Amino acid sequence: MGSPMEMNGGSVIAMTGKDCVAIASDLRLGQQAVGLSADFEKVFPINNQLYVGLPGFATDTYTLREHLRFRVNMYRMKEEREITPKTFAHLLSSTLYEKRFGPYFIEPVIAGIPAPSAIDPDPKPFICNMDTIGCITTPKDFVVAGTATDKLYGVAEGLWEPDLEPEDLFETISQTLLAAVDRDCISGWGAVVHVITKDKIITRHLKGRMD
Amino acid sequence: MTECSFGITGKDFVLLASDQSAGRSIIKMKSDENKIRQLSPSLCMAYGGEPGDTENFVDFVERNLRLYQIRHNIELAPAPASAYIRRILAEAIRSRRPYVVSLLLGGYDKIKDESHLYWMDPYGTKVKVPYTANGLGIYVALSTMDKYWYPDITREEAGQLLKRCIDEVKLRLAYQFSFNAVEIDKDGVREYKLDGSA
Amino acid sequence: MPEAIQHRFDPYSSNGGSILAIAGKDFAVVAGDTRQSEGYSIQSRYQKKVFPLTSKAILAVNGFAADGNNFVKRVKQRLEWYTHAHNKEMPIKSIARLIQTMLYARRMFPYYVYNVLAGIEEDDGTGAVYSFDPVGSYERETCRAAGAAQSLLQPFLDNQIYFRNHTPAPGQPPFDPSTHPLSTVLSILVDSFSSATERHIEVGDFLEGYVILSPGRTSDDLIGEGVKGVLPEGMTVEEQDPEDLDVQSAVAGKGCRVFLVRKELKRD
Repeated sequence: MGSPMEMNGGSVIAMTGKDCVAIASDLRLGQQAVGLSADFEKVFPINNQLYVGLPGFATDTYTLREHLRFRVNMYRMKEEREITPKTFAHLLSSTLYEKRFGPYFIEPVIAGIPAPSAIDPDPKPFICNMDTIGCITTPKDFVVAGTATDKLYGVAEGLWEPDLEPEDLFETISQTLLAAVDRDCISGWGAVVHVITKDKIITRHLKGRMD
Repeated sequence: MTECSFGITGKDFVLLASDQSAGRSIIKMKSDENKIRQLSPSLCMAYGGEPGDTENFVDFVERNLRLYQIRHNIELAPAPASAYIRRILAEAIRSRRPYVVSLLLGGYDKIKDESHLYWMDPYGTKVKVPYTANGLGIYVALSTMDKYWYPDITREEAGQLLKRCIDEVKLRLAYQFSFNAVEIDKDGVREYKLDGSA
Repeated sequence: MPEAIQHRFDPYSSNGGSILAIAGKDFAVVAGDTRQSEGYSIQSRYQKKVFPLTSKAILAVNGFAADGNNFVKRVKQRLEWYTHAHNKEMPIKSIARLIQTMLYARRMFPYYVYNVLAGIEEDDGTGAVYSFDPVGSYERETCRAAGAAQSLLQPFLDNQIYFRNHTPAPGQPPFDPSTHPLSTVLSILVDSFSSATERHIEVGDFLEGYVILSPGRTSDDLIGEGVKGVLPEGMTVEEQDPEDLDVQSAVAGKGCRVFLVRKELKRD
């Protein structure tokens, strides 16, 4: 057994645009070099305006997703409102930090658009990522995680530009992800992209190299 | 890791096959051990791993699924059953005594009229797949399945595909296995004769 | 019991930085950053790792700097011997094979160097890039990134130079990586290194490299009138006098023009 972070493979990326955000993942799940599934999505909806990507150790992807589903459902029932991206980020952060000395091997990525409120009538798109024990980083351009991290940084840094419209953001994030995972042996096998705008979510499955 | 199992789904059935060897290291002590367990009326598990763990784990799962059925007067469908089994493994892996068990879970959802097949490892990694292998089988038979499987595959064709996989195992692996198989569909679980006789 | 004294000699180090080469139809571009580091320490902000070998072949070396410098020295010596023996410059494809032989000769104690050789092919005047691993496995390619930021640069080149995952509009011919104009290649070069500088701590300070124009190339767009459109912002260009280049200029083939290009990168 190698490192849990490289055992199953997989990568996630999120980018901001003009009044929109996009989040995407590859679809591979493997056991070391052997590919087992080409439809293992690593990005999950939290609500209509918020998605979370959980690349890393696949068993923890599932465990965390189920745990977060429970916590967010409880939040929704108790608070009678949807959780905001920022609150969700802190919920996930403290969930991860609870396991400080035996962490979930997951590097989460969060992307969402906060709903307008009285305090903040025109909220900005939100992206963030964190390490395996919940340390949050909130850049204004893009966040990446998973086994193709280096490659994603290289391509994203070259292709991303500010204030992309939803369709341009879709093209940018798709090209970035495909270019990066094609140079990673344990990421790829297709991809899924979600573009979140104020009024709708565009989800598209990408065909990719199957090697 | 001297174990080998296969799972193949079609639209309305699942085939599960497993090797029948029991032993330790390079020594084979038994070649007619059944390593496929029926967990509920339309759910089966082909398992492998650390010998003591496997039996204990499978017994535990089987009895708890039975308890659920008695309490609620309905069997747990394959999807929730897979989530339950995964949870046992995932919780155990971070405990003082993990179960070293990997498995293929095949079942038929009578409410949704769907066949289900799951691949699981001892960490609790769960994947829903149309066809898969476990143990040594992944190295020699996954490509055979990639080539011949298609969504509308018939029972006959799935049987032939299973035979191709077993032939591949006999051809390519140094270890000699004997296999048994089950067929799961809306009518429940039946033994599937691998030699072609009814 | 006293511990047995262990002697271990580790003669290798890694000095960071990255190199990149792109071949065009009638030109080649090869460049690298000039930062040299060891661990988290910067040893130099301006240390060359791209070296002219002949009037139409340039070698970029990356990895262990001491090995790199020594390797370039020995390649140059072999080329000088060749020139004295044959009264001509060695063609780039032969230089590539020579480098393979020299690297493989040290199979059991390798030069810890990734080489990228760029220039103009002798027979047809096309731009050429040859890339090597430390023990001499090599290949002619359209483009190649190597070094510390290879993983950041190469997928970007796959996307921008090789058009991977791009589909031509209906009715349009398939993309051809060898048709990029020089202006495009230079801006991709600069963007690549700006990106790598942004995200990789071992890359930065200056970008320095060479543009080699084939004798057959007609347009004079690198210096002169067209310069504004070709040269990326902040990049300076100097045409190299064959006399000034450390090459065997006496027998240099006619027509190949070599330009030194420089650009500042971030220093943090």
